[in-house]
Amino acid sequence: MNHDLVRLAHTGSNPDMLRRLVAESGWSGAVRRLRSSSKTSAAVKAGLDIDSEARLEHLSGIGVELIADGDDRYPPALSGLPDRPLWLFVRGRIPSAVGVAVVGSRRGTRYGLELARAFGSQIAGAGWPVISGLAAGIDTAAHSGAVDVGGDTMAVLGSGIDVWYPRRNRVLGEAILAGGGAVISEFPPGTTPDSWRFPARNRIISGLAGVVIVVEAAVRSGALITARLALEHGRSVMAVPGDLSRETSVGANLLIRDGAHPLTELHALIEELELVMGQAPATRLPQGGSDGDHESLLGLLGPISIPIDELAASAGVSIDRLLADLAHLELSGLVMVEGGAVRSCM
Amino acid sequence: MIAKVSSAVLVGVEPREVSVEARAFGSKEVFALAGLPDASVREAKHRVRSALAQANTHVSQTIVVHLGPADLPKRGSAFDLSIALAVLGALDRQAAVPPVVAVGELAMDGAVLATNGALAAALVARDRGLPCLLPPEMAAQAACVSGVDLIPVRTLVEAHAVALGRAAPPPVPEPVGFAEDCADRSAQDCADMSDVRGQALARRALEIAAAGGHHLLLSGPPGCGKTMLARRLSGLLPPLSEDEALEVACVWSAADRWRNPGSRPPFRAPHHSASMAAVLGGGSGIPIPGELSLAHRGVLFLDELGEYPSNLLDSFRQPIEQGSITIARKGATVTYPASCQVVAATNPCPCGYLGDRIKQCRCAEAGVAKYRQRLSGPLLDRFDLRVTVARPERLDGPTGESSAVIRERVVAARELQRDRGRLNRELPGGELDDLAIAGEARRLLRLAVDRGLVTGRGYDRSRRVARTIADLSGCETVEAEHVAEAMSLRGEAA
Repeated sequence: MNHDLVRLAHTGSNPDMLRRLVAESGWSGAVRRLRSSSKTSAAVKAGLDIDSEARLEHLSGIGVELIADGDDRYPPALSGLPDRPLWLFVRGRIPSAVGVAVVGSRRGTRYGLELARAFGSQIAGAGWPVISGLAAGIDTAAHSGAVDVGGDTMAVLGSGIDVWYPRRNRVLGEAILAGGGAVISEFPPGTTPDSWRFPARNRIISGLAGVVIVVEAAVRSGALITARLALEHGRSVMAVPGDLSRETSVGANLLIRDGAHPLTELHALIEELELVMGQAPATRLPQGGSDGDHESLLGLLGPISIPIDELAASAGVSIDRLLADLAHLELSGLVMVEGGAVRSCM
Repeated sequence: MIAKVSSAVLVGVEPREVSVEARAFGSKEVFALAGLPDASVREAKHRVRSALAQANTHVSQTIVVHLGPADLPKRGSAFDLSIALAVLGALDRQAAVPPVVAVGELAMDGAVLATNGALAAALVARDRGLPCLLPPEMAAQAACVSGVDLIPVRTLVEAHAVALGRAAPPPVPEPVGFAEDCADRSAQDCADMSDVRGQALARRALEIAAAGGHHLLLSGPPGCGKTMLARRLSGLLPPLSEDEALEVACVWSAADRWRNPGSRPPFRAPHHSASMAAVLGGGSGIPIPGELSLAHRGVLFLDELGEYPSNLLDSFRQPIEQGSITIARKGATVTYPASCQVVAATNPCPCGYLGDRIKQCRCAEAGVAKYRQRLSGPLLDRFDLRVTVARPERLDGPTGESSAVIRERVVAARELQRDRGRLNRELPGGELDDLAIAGEARRLLRLAVDRGLVTGRGYDRSRRVARTIADLSGCETVEAEHVAEAMSLRGEAA
């Protein structure tokens, strides 16, 4: 069956059609019927004719497992979906718990990115895997937040499992794997990240998640597609309300208008999620670091960065004193100073 | 007979004496000029002949005028007066013109007009101990050079009479006021720090930059006030000493520009479309200084640093480090001083909103990478201070101290540096190791390096800036708090 599976996985043919074929005739039956059909295109035939032995060897060589629908290791969250993928290429370990998806624009604002990162940390800290697409922007921030706290996170790629997109996210992808998370894809290795593959990827994201959180999304965006799929899959959708004047807020605001749950408080995320997902698996909530000397300064900082000028005013300290304090806090890893603004790293 | 009068020219910033010798002989009406005159000098013969006619001296002999040294190219109209006086001396055997330095252009009617070169003439006159004849406007400019016998003259006849001692010299006009601070500056360059609202971080960075002479890179979204802040730096610098001011005035004079030696340190902001020659200096004959040298002892402001062509940015580096630039041309090879403090402003990405808290960046990823690449590496290393200027949340924030108040602290800090022998900006790695630095401060730096927060280069930059912060607070030893603050100002890509 493995050989037939690997052949089918390389055909790139319509999953609905394949699902029907496999349901009717089994894996090897499907391969036979495709081979004998006169309607089968040359590209699909090429997929069927690959050297499955060599391919399987290659996959295990690069640490990739091919898991078919019905396998014990196939994510249970996906099994019930009518449009579930027939197989998944998997690196790392698929988490057993149902996850929370955090998705959004590839061009988030700094606010959106920091929020997504904070959400990633909080969700992973509560023991739920953070599901996202390893794309630039909000996806990256959400995964990074989970990696920051050493939590579980799963990246669903819209390209082949060995193709990092954007390329610089290779570092993040490897960090996810090193942290015990997973990188998965429906597409065979070497598949290029073509934009038409992303909606297909998004259905896996929403399928794996109990709740989909949309942080900053334009009207025409992958995040909104994910949200729509989530409703079809019967998942809950939460959205961060945004500035009316900004293009990347409109999508999230429209979701709220259409019934998505608005996230209105920075620190109430876990409670809101528990209402839908049930008790959080872990009580491993991120511990705020402490530093005796700078307690009051740390008290003013949260996950969303504050310009240094403003912090000096609200803390009531001189700028030279504040800069010196921030250097100490940065050294202890308690705060992050970036672009003239500070946030806490908790 | 041969008569001789002195004139002067700047070669680079060196004032050089030009001896103007005239010989009259024969009866053929010829006027010849030797000594590499350019077209404007060659035309002097027409002006001189006409001015002499107005003084009732009609030339009917062969006149040869030589401007020495023979191999130094001469340009401009400042030699007119000296040529006329030398010719008068050559024609009149009874009245030899005593040695004087004379500069000024002649009008057809014999009036002496102001030109460039007042400083060169005054400096040559001072060094040679000669009186200096020049039009009153130039005398006012030259008055900043002390120890020179300046004789303002209005006409050729008057100049001749005064030179021969036949008339009393007219009174020297008031020197161009040292107090007219803003005379040669646009209102913007004179702007005061007290107009700046909020921006505590940028204010602090400017103060430290002024105190240690550190090159400063301001980055931030459009409209956050980078340019506004940079333009205020020269107002924070200590006033130039008389020698420094003269040196600056000489550089400006070499570029045919008058700069009042009493004014504040210069502020130059060459546009990113400026040519290599305009920025570095160049031109035919004797090369003239570029913006880099005009900013000597002052501020060179590069707005939108990423827009400057990279070969231009590369060519800055070495002169700025060395404090001087040597330009070789066919006519002469000159070295101009170029010890200036660079302030650069840049957007974080082409659209300017990368990392902005509110607005979203619209740049393609590759565009951002390319933009950053232009600013990377060796050039960026020169900026000891790198500060991100945030867009102010409110435009009605509190105003801060005025430039004068900040300048007082800067002056005190500079005094400490002068005692040590050099500006903190110029501290080389070796001297940084000998810095008086407290044990705890040393541990803090080591920790930062170990944790990867500060790189090797950032280590040196942090120490230089920490030294300046200590100077600002009047401490002989660099303490931990100084190092900590310096680390916060090192910039992201440390």
